[in-house]
Order: sequence, then structure tokens, then C-alpha cells
Amino acid sequence: MSISYFPNQRADLPLRYESPVEEAISRLSEALATIPTLAHYSPRWLAIQLLEDDDGLAQQVQAAPGGEAVLHVLAEQRDHLRTHYNDAVDITLTDQRYRFVHQITQRVLTRPDAPDATLSDTIDRIVTHKYLGIPIFLALMWIVFKITADVSAPMLDWVDGVISGPLTNWVVALLSVAGLGGTWVESLAVDGVIAGVGGVLVFVPVLLALYFALALLEDSGYMARAAFVMDRLMRALGLHGKSFLPMIVGFGCNVPAIYATRTLESERDRILTGLLVPFMSCSARLPVYILLAAIFFPAYAGVAVFSMYLLGIIVAILLGVVFKHTLFRSKEQMPFILELPPYRLPTLRGIWTQMWERTASFVRKAWTIILATSLVVWLLIALPVGGQGRFADTELDQSAFATVSGVVAPIFAPLGFGSWESSGALVTGFVAKEVVISTMGQIYGLQEAEEAAAPTTFLEDVSGIATSFVSAVGDTLKSIPLIVGINLFEEEEEAEPTALMGAIEAGFEESSGGHGVLAALAFMVFVLLYTPCMVTAAATRQEFGNVWMWVSIIGQFALAWVVALLVFQGGLLLGLG
Amino acid sequence: MNSNPTIALVGNPNVGKSTIFNALTGARQHVGNWPGKTVEKKAGTLKLGTQTVTVVDLPGTYSLSAYSLEEQITRDFIVQERPALVVHVVDATNLERNLYLTAQLLDTGTPLLIVLNMLDMAHERQFTIDAIQLSQALDGVPVVEMTASKGKGFDALKRALAGVLLQLRETQQPMELSA
Repeated sequence: MSISYFPNQRADLPLRYESPVEEAISRLSEALATIPTLAHYSPRWLAIQLLEDDDGLAQQVQAAPGGEAVLHVLAEQRDHLRTHYNDAVDITLTDQRYRFVHQITQRVLTRPDAPDATLSDTIDRIVTHKYLGIPIFLALMWIVFKITADVSAPMLDWVDGVISGPLTNWVVALLSVAGLGGTWVESLAVDGVIAGVGGVLVFVPVLLALYFALALLEDSGYMARAAFVMDRLMRALGLHGKSFLPMIVGFGCNVPAIYATRTLESERDRILTGLLVPFMSCSARLPVYILLAAIFFPAYAGVAVFSMYLLGIIVAILLGVVFKHTLFRSKEQMPFILELPPYRLPTLRGIWTQMWERTASFVRKAWTIILATSLVVWLLIALPVGGQGRFADTELDQSAFATVSGVVAPIFAPLGFGSWESSGALVTGFVAKEVVISTMGQIYGLQEAEEAAAPTTFLEDVSGIATSFVSAVGDTLKSIPLIVGINLFEEEEEAEPTALMGAIEAGFEESSGGHGVLAALAFMVFVLLYTPCMVTAAATRQEFGNVWMWVSIIGQFALAWVVALLVFQGGLLLGLG
Repeated sequence: MNSNPTIALVGNPNVGKSTIFNALTGARQHVGNWPGKTVEKKAGTLKLGTQTVTVVDLPGTYSLSAYSLEEQITRDFIVQERPALVVHVVDATNLERNLYLTAQLLDTGTPLLIVLNMLDMAHERQFTIDAIQLSQALDGVPVVEMTASKGKGFDALKRALAGVLLQLRETQQPMELSA
């Protein structure tokens, strides 16, 4: 590796155009140099851009004092060049630039006459194949999903066990030692922090697995191929393949996906893609599906969760088609040009960095906005409104939280989940979608019957954590063949429903008049589709402006309401659930 | 002149700008194998001996004619903020296409340094690039050879950066020095 370096004389410009062009450039630069308000641009550069018909810069020149005169010179010179070369001026310049580049390349590059087909090319012939491309893509998506759902399950159970068991016991024990047992401080720690933040942290293993799979897709170079393969389908949506990259990013988190729309050339494509991105189910929504699916569809939990992802994609497709024929009738179809990067073997370090960065930001979110929201919810639950309750010792349905949530609850009654509990969870879910889970944990956790667990010693707890960790690691390894459908588990271990799960089940049964399964399904659909979280909304506003943010907030709420209504009422009509 | 000089990393999408940015500044900017990863400019600092330099990672672009938002971010930064030096990262396996952006950068008149990156892959395909000829053809623009993904060439890059910044300072402020 070396540096090639010649003291730069700059006696001459390295890139000189043919003399008629240089003539026009110098005429224009002279005229531009007289305008002080444009002094921050290099006159030569500005002259070249104007000759190439850059609208934005031409407007700046026109607005500047003395600009009209320059535009006059410009028109003259453009006319002159157009007649001289008998071609559009920008094409003339581009052409001369390419000739310059080509000459240099000839001089400095030696390459084999017929380069061998690289391994990349061979793989591409298969994965971007006309007919095989889409099936291969779908198969890979299924694998991503299996990694996320199955392989992480044993670790999820382990973390859940540690947080709800020993960790909670230790906190309670510590507080008792400090003489705070049974006070509002204990309630704050257990019902506020552990139920709220802990309830979300339980899902860290799932997210690690998801981020692992997404990192593999990104680092290997497959993602660009997926965009290429999906181009035809995306065109049916009035978009093109490039819109697909932000959408895949959206499965991790919608916020970077909104920013990723910047790679699209036309504003129409950017806005349309930005409006569809929130229907890609982000990692924050996954915990909600996993919890509800485990309660209401224990035998088909995987299918139930996967169908949420599919539904999001289908809704995006349908909306795309509708928008294409209404709001976003296209004037011009942008060509789709995407460079396919060479395949690279992902490095462990690269994958780990991505997993770590994203998981760390999730955990940070848990300790900031989710903690703050949990504390507000706890406070509202602790505050009695009417009744005989005292602070931190009030009947749940007489709490401020129940009263406030009860006001919005009727909106959701036709959807089967019009209780104050689930309405409250949906309202707080605007802060971040995981908060739906933490709020439910806080509300239903309080309704759990007090389980008198057998007292354990600290050492028993520690060894319990260690042995259950070892068996979770074993189960994780055993679950890897599940990706290709091989089940190494001897029998289907139905997890014992916890008291929290029982309480949630009872809640949905009650609010739906005995159709808890349908209500839960409608609730999952609603969480998938409704108003994006506030961070996504803020990103939408920053990229596309206030109007589109409100379109997204209100439109998605209305859409979610209608679809969830169809699911619940339609299911009732068909006699399901 | 108490503000730190700024150098900007520019290049086609997915040529390794963010990898170089991370290695220079110690940042942990998300790096991925697909075009369009960086859509915003990111800044970090680099110590070159006693001098502190601000390094800016710009979104990848094929051209400076502003079509998409990310291309506009890159162009505006170069022509309006006027960094002390533009480091153009070039994919050695796609020299001709990458050099089109070089041509447009030359139009802006910005001081330029070229990083010839991904040389390992170019060699794998039996490409040979004469860096000395390239530098000469571009009238003395320094060319640094690198394989950033394997950590190769960073010492050379830092030496080149220090040298160019020193030279720029000397040529640009002769009055101040003599005063």
C-alpha cells in the first residue's frame, strides 16, 4: 500500500473541456464573479452547473441582484453550444467528461481481456432468476422468521424466569431489609419498574435473533438482490425496487426506514414509500404478537405471528395500488438502477456490532422512554379517583388510569377490546409500541392472584439461574434444526400459562362477551396497523412535513379500526372463535 | 484560524466510506453491504499528530448533479461548506464509473485526495491500476492505495492527509505566516 503523490502545481486544470465549452464557461464565470451574493460558490463550478441546466441554481442566480444579466449571457452561450455541437448542452458536457475519464482509465488500468465469471455472478444467476428469485426470497424470509421466533424461545423463557422470579424476590427482600416492605416504594419498584421495564426486557433474546438475521441479509449483499427481485412486484404498487430497501429496514425499526427513503429520486416515491413503511411490522411490535399468540393460539403461535407480518405486507400492497391510482398518479416512471454489491462472507465482528448496537439502543429505550411511561402509568394506577382507596393502595378500577382509559374505551368496543385495560395499553403504545406490553404487564400483573412462592435462599436462586441458563442454551441449540422443520424436542412442551397470561386471557374474554380469541386477533391486527409510534411520526414529519405526518397518524388509526372491526365482527358472523 | 479543518469523505454508494470513517474517527457508524446505507452526513474527529481534524462522512452518490435528496446533501456540503479537503473513495474494481464523480469533483475546484479502495478484490480479478499514472493524469492529485475492510492502508492515508493539509495551509496563508 503506498501513496502516489506529486506536488500539485495546478498550473493547468486537470479536466479541461473542449475550447468552445471552456469559452462559454469563462464568459459565464466572469459574469458570475460580479455578483457578490454568489461569492460563496466557485464561479467555474456554478457556470458549469448553469450550462447543464440546473434549475435550483438558476433560480438562485435569478433572485440575486444582477442575476438577470447573467441569465442572459447563459441563454446566449447555451444557444451557441447547442448549435455548435448539435446536441443538448448537458449531454455535450457529460460526454466530454466521460471521454476524459475513459482516457485516464485506458492509461492506468490493465485488466484481463475476458474476466472470469466471479462467484458473485454465478450466485446472482440463481437468486435473481426470473422464476426462482421470488420463491428464494420468500424462503429466506421464512428462515429469518424461524430464527427469530423458534431459536430465541428458550432464552426468552429463561430471561422471563429470572426477572419474574429471583430478581423480583431480591428486590422485595432488599426493600424489606430497608424497612420499606409493603409500602408504596415496593409497589413502585415491583409494579412500576419491574412489571413495566422488565416486561419489555424479556424480549431482548428475540430481538438479538432478529437483528442477527437482518445483519446476515445486509452484510452478505443479498438485500440489494432482494430489491432487484422485488422490482416487478413493487412496480405493481406504483413504486420500484429501490423502495424495497427502506421497507426491509422497517422490519427492524421504522425510524431509520423513513430516513432511508432519501435514496429515492422522486419526491412522489419518497412520500409514498414513507407512508407504506409503518405497515412493515417493526421489532417493537413483535413482543405484543408473541405474548398474545402464546395466550390465545398456543398451538399455532408461529403461524399467528407470521401472519401478522404477511398482513402488514398485504395491506401495504393494497394501499400502494390505491394510492397509485388516486393521490400519487404518476407522471413519470423513474428507471430502477441499483448496483449489486459483490457478495461478501459476513464477518462475526460485523454481525456482532450490528446486533449489539441495535440491541443496546433497544435497552436504552427501555431505561428512558419506557421507564418514564411505566412510571407515569404506575402513578396513574396508584392515584385513587373516588372510592375509599389510598395512594398506592387503591382498587384498580377506581384508579385515575382506569378512569382516563375508560373514556376512550367505547371506541374499541365494536372491535371486541373495549375494556379500559386494553384501551389504556393502546394509548400508551403511541410512545413506543413495546409499551403496550409493559402497560399490560403493569395492569394485569396487579390483578394476578398473589402467588405464595416457596421461599428460596439467595444461593438456591443463583444456582437455579445458572442451571436454567445451561438448559436454555441446550434448548437453543436443539431448536436450530426447527428452521428446516426438524423437531428435536421429544414432546411438545406446552409452557404453563403464567398468572399474567391468565389475567390477560380473562380480560379479553370479558371485553368481547366470550369471544376472547377473536378479540385478541383483532387487537393484534390493530397493534400492527394503528398510528406509528411518536418517534416514527416525528421522522415522518421531518422528512415529509406536517401534513403527511397527520395523514399517517389519522389514516393509520382509521385503517386499523376498520380492519380490526372486520376481523372481529366478520369472525363473529362466520361463527368463529 | 482556530477552527479545525474539515475533510469530507465522498464516493459512490457502498465503496467503503463508512468503514474508513469509522476507522479514522473511532465512531461506530452502521456499515452494511448495500448501497444507500448512509443517508445523512455524520461527523467525527481525527487526531493527526498535534492537529485535530473534523471528518465528515457524506451519503454515497454517483454524480454531483443533484437528483435525490442524499445526492443533494453531498453536493451542497462540498460547494457550500467548502471542506478543506475532499477525500474521494474509489472502488478499484469499478474504476471508470467511479472516476466520473472524480471529474465532477474537479469541476468544483475543491482540493482532492483519492483513495483507491478495495484493492484486494481488484487484484483477485487480476486488475492492475497504476496509481502513479493516475495521480499524474489528474495533475498531481494524491492517490492512496487501500483495502479498508482489512484495515490496510490507514497509516498511508493518515500520512497523506497530514501532508496535504500542511501543504494547503502553506499555500493558502502565506501572508499570515510572514506577518
